[in-house]
Amino acid sequence: MNEKIVIVPCSGIGKTYGTVSREAAYEVIEELRPESAQLVPLSMLVLGEENARAAVAASPAITIDGCKLACATKMVQESGGTIAQDFAVLDVFRRNRKLKPQGIAELNEGGQQLAHALAEEVAAVVDKLNGKVETGDEKLRSSAPCF
Amino acid sequence: MPNLPQKKVGIVACSGEEMAEGTVTRLAALKVLEELRPNETVTICLPLFLAGGEGDRAFARFYPTIAVDGCALRCAARATEQYSGKPAASVVVTDIVAERGIGPVAGLRRLNEAGQQAVAETAATVADLVDTLLDKKWSRREGRFLESEPVMQEEAVAKSAASCACGSGIPVQTVQVNGQQVTLIALPPLLAQFKQMGKRPSPETAAELLAQVKIYNDVPDAMESQYQEVLAQEYALFCAEGVAA
Amino acid sequence: MAEFLEYTLDKFTFKVATDRFYNPEGVWAKAEGNQVTVGVSDFFQQRNGDVAFAEVKDVGTAVAANDEFATIETIKVDVELPCPVSGTIAAVNEKLELEAEVINQDPYGEGWLAVIAAANWAADQANLMTPEVYFEHMKVQAQEEAENL
Repeated sequence: MNEKIVIVPCSGIGKTYGTVSREAAYEVIEELRPESAQLVPLSMLVLGEENARAAVAASPAITIDGCKLACATKMVQESGGTIAQDFAVLDVFRRNRKLKPQGIAELNEGGQQLAHALAEEVAAVVDKLNGKVETGDEKLRSSAPCF
Repeated sequence: MPNLPQKKVGIVACSGEEMAEGTVTRLAALKVLEELRPNETVTICLPLFLAGGEGDRAFARFYPTIAVDGCALRCAARATEQYSGKPAASVVVTDIVAERGIGPVAGLRRLNEAGQQAVAETAATVADLVDTLLDKKWSRREGRFLESEPVMQEEAVAKSAASCACGSGIPVQTVQVNGQQVTLIALPPLLAQFKQMGKRPSPETAAELLAQVKIYNDVPDAMESQYQEVLAQEYALFCAEGVAA
Repeated sequence: MAEFLEYTLDKFTFKVATDRFYNPEGVWAKAEGNQVTVGVSDFFQQRNGDVAFAEVKDVGTAVAANDEFATIETIKVDVELPCPVSGTIAAVNEKLELEAEVINQDPYGEGWLAVIAAANWAADQANLMTPEVYFEHMKVQAQEEAENL
């Protein structure tokens, strides 16, 4: 199976959380796991765009939500996709309390570090999922978080 | 006493995360919301049309909207129309880039110089559209500007700013028109405002109320008299409840 | 009286529960005998954003009215909360430890912060705002702070 793992970040522009989620997603697809992860924009899922729906249907998705409304997770589910793991920026901040993000157009240092920490977590899940995809080992799927 | 919200313009950016033009839409929308027209604009999150339920769609129905799209797919404009109502205006970054001879836009996370120029041009275009929309009367039902008369400004809210759609709602009220349930956006604050202005229940007041209701709701021409009758009843009830309380 | 007073500004609607009293900072107090449950208002939680951490002083701690009894940290701000009542902290909402977002989800219910065994509730109550007075106070605050919402 050659499908890349799908990452769907929040697309909110009203709060810093959305920016953190996008920055983390970009870091994963551009730097950390460019060969094994791809980004699917939320707006296309909202529209029901065929290619976006096909992408989430073909591969487990990692969603990154900026707030409790969890748009990314809900939209992947609405689109018929499978959520491999859903991340919430607030929870990541709880695990990294010193990294307080600020800024929407441009993140402060804390926000960038928080995005990096989140990206590392997302990359780890990508690795686990790819392990599952390559080996067909069902045990790995069951051991991955939030299945 | 609730205030009737000041008429504002909702900005719906596609935010397309997979292309640099999507980044341009986000940054251009932010520039309008935070710098160029902070008191006249509201951000509407596209995914909230579905994830946030009816309340968020109501926001976009309540405000005239400008869809800001990165590419010809026009996700923001089409999804807004699909789930809420036709946007009052629509801009596409790739069109602006082509029309104004801006070079290739690149950089998902850090836009190149052309991308930054595209942000400035797109934001300026949107800001102009905001001004246009606030000066004209927009009919969602007909999807066009009505006559060029200035829109009567609602009771002004002293100060307000760009803000996110997450977690709040415009008051709505459900009424029966010809035996069918119809949800009217902004009716509760309109009733309260009319009462505060000392307007007595009467056919004239009902007509005025209808005119206000039509700003925020689609009222079919053929149904206006029925709507007016219902509004007269609702206003009389509203006033009577106040007296009883 | 209605369960809530509601105020809509721009695209935000703020609710004020009518069955309790408030201090100016938006901390509410609801008494059953001398057991006073305290929490934050809907306006407080919307203004300050999603709560990441909420820490209340330990059970058994004596607090005086207007003394800090809890701290709330959101991604936006850290806020120290003044206690609306004097007494001893009798219980702390255990949900806050792992699910502090309950404050945002249900500020007047499941998102309560603590129960205070009040030393003199009648005296404290006299210094708090009724829902109607807090409602007016909140409206002014909301208008002033609309830029940050």
